[in-house]
Amino acid sequence: MNAVRPSRPGPRLAWLRSRTAKWIVGILLSIPFLLLLNDVRIELVQPGAGLGPDPGEELVDRLGTWSIRVLYLTLLVSSVSRIFRVPVLIQHRRTFGLWAFTYVVLHLAAYFSALAGFDFNVVLSDFTKRPYIIVGLSALCLLIPLAITSTRGWQRRLGVNWRRLHRIVYVAALLALIHLWMQEKATFFDTFLYGSILLILFIERLVDIVRRKRKKSPTAKAVEGTT
Amino acid sequence: MLIKTNREIPSSEITPESVYVSRRKFMGQSASAAVLAGIAGSAYGLPENFVSEQGFAKGEPIGEKITPEEYATRYNNFYEFGTGKEDPSKKAHVLTTEPWSLEVGGRVGKPGKIELEDVLKDIDLEERIYRLRCVEAWSMVVPWIGFPVKKLLERFEPLGDAKYVKFTTLYRPKEMPGIRSIFSSVDFPYVEGLRLDEANHPLAIFSIGMYGKVLPNQNGAPFRLVVPWKYGFKSIKSIVKIELTEREPRTTWNKSAPHEYGFYANVNPNVDHPRWSQAQERRLPTTIFGRKIETRMFNGYDEVASLYEGMNLKRKY
Repeated sequence: MNAVRPSRPGPRLAWLRSRTAKWIVGILLSIPFLLLLNDVRIELVQPGAGLGPDPGEELVDRLGTWSIRVLYLTLLVSSVSRIFRVPVLIQHRRTFGLWAFTYVVLHLAAYFSALAGFDFNVVLSDFTKRPYIIVGLSALCLLIPLAITSTRGWQRRLGVNWRRLHRIVYVAALLALIHLWMQEKATFFDTFLYGSILLILFIERLVDIVRRKRKKSPTAKAVEGTT
Repeated sequence: MLIKTNREIPSSEITPESVYVSRRKFMGQSASAAVLAGIAGSAYGLPENFVSEQGFAKGEPIGEKITPEEYATRYNNFYEFGTGKEDPSKKAHVLTTEPWSLEVGGRVGKPGKIELEDVLKDIDLEERIYRLRCVEAWSMVVPWIGFPVKKLLERFEPLGDAKYVKFTTLYRPKEMPGIRSIFSSVDFPYVEGLRLDEANHPLAIFSIGMYGKVLPNQNGAPFRLVVPWKYGFKSIKSIVKIELTEREPRTTWNKSAPHEYGFYANVNPNVDHPRWSQAQERRLPTTIFGRKIETRMFNGYDEVASLYEGMNLKRKY
């Protein structure tokens, strides 16, 4: 393959730059939350109808599932923008990331209220004794600085370090997978599914790094990609 | 204690064995209309009206609310049909449970195969309202219909060296999608076991029905074990084989994760599951912010405590 690959401009998709596009992305990502909220409403009116016989467990479970989904979607945004050369997509990554964080926080909040019943002793013993909870909690903690520094202001202030800092997301993504795997009982389907997705996301990044290193050497200016 | 109700079919009218045997071959020749009545198209292991036809002694209320039938029959763990709680109720209807026979072997004087209907022929059915505590920290109250395990075992004359009972669930990949799954991390067929003295305890029953009817497939039709003082996974479903052994049998969950699921698996609020506490349970159906209830030692069945005298139940969990 020729090293001097003309950096063919991808599709323009200028409308993706618009404010409306951002709103649409945000609304799409909130749909699972709104549906769940509706189920909670039904559940409160008519127990058993919205979330089944074990609603607390169901609520925590579904929020957990959406946490990992939206988190991995966030990583997918960068990949898609590179593969299909639509850098404009990167502008939407923040929305994805913040929604991922929102689902994670809601997941924890549901655990506190529905499963632990705000019982401090239960929470304390879970946080110290249950490895899968410790792993999940660590993932959440790692996402906090990322959520805080997600603004344009922080991006500017941190400069190159911003990208370095935000690489933590990979650790969080891996911890989320381990958190899921540790809870699987009789089947490894979910671990396999999300593990494969994460693996593909990692491979794409590796390929991208290798390609950029190759590109850098002869002539091309370093077209710095994004993490 | 148990009050016998008038049974609609006196045992004198039960089909003689010779007729049963020939009926195995020619279903149409059946002499017992009552037994055959519900077979066609039924998703049940036994004729749907079997329980009402045979009659049963009503169970004693335990002062706790019985779980509504639709929850007990739609929220199940029966991994042969998938790992989702609703998978069994959605997928188990394809299971053929008629005819059903049990193979009894191992350390018994009279090993052999017996048809389920012959097992039930001269058995008095009784209802038992039991708490069911799942190892996953939820619980229900279920009115089972069945008879003591001991009654069946003694027919096969256990030998003196028999110390354990090993139970095996049906293994039929064609009808059980969960077995076919390549992601499954448990071995099938499902195997469970009890110490012989545990199996002989009057609280341990074989069940063929619940809620006044025969068992639906998802609840382990047509023939299952119910051991109320142990976590639910011990109460093995859709049993086809019973063996008496000298050595402790290797059971499915114990093999899959020995640090999480012990052979004994007695309900014990003082021994946590490595991933969650067993001190409390959610009585289903519960509400989102519903309060949990305290889990009791042996699930509240203190009368079994003598079986474990001198045993360290923290180590033999």
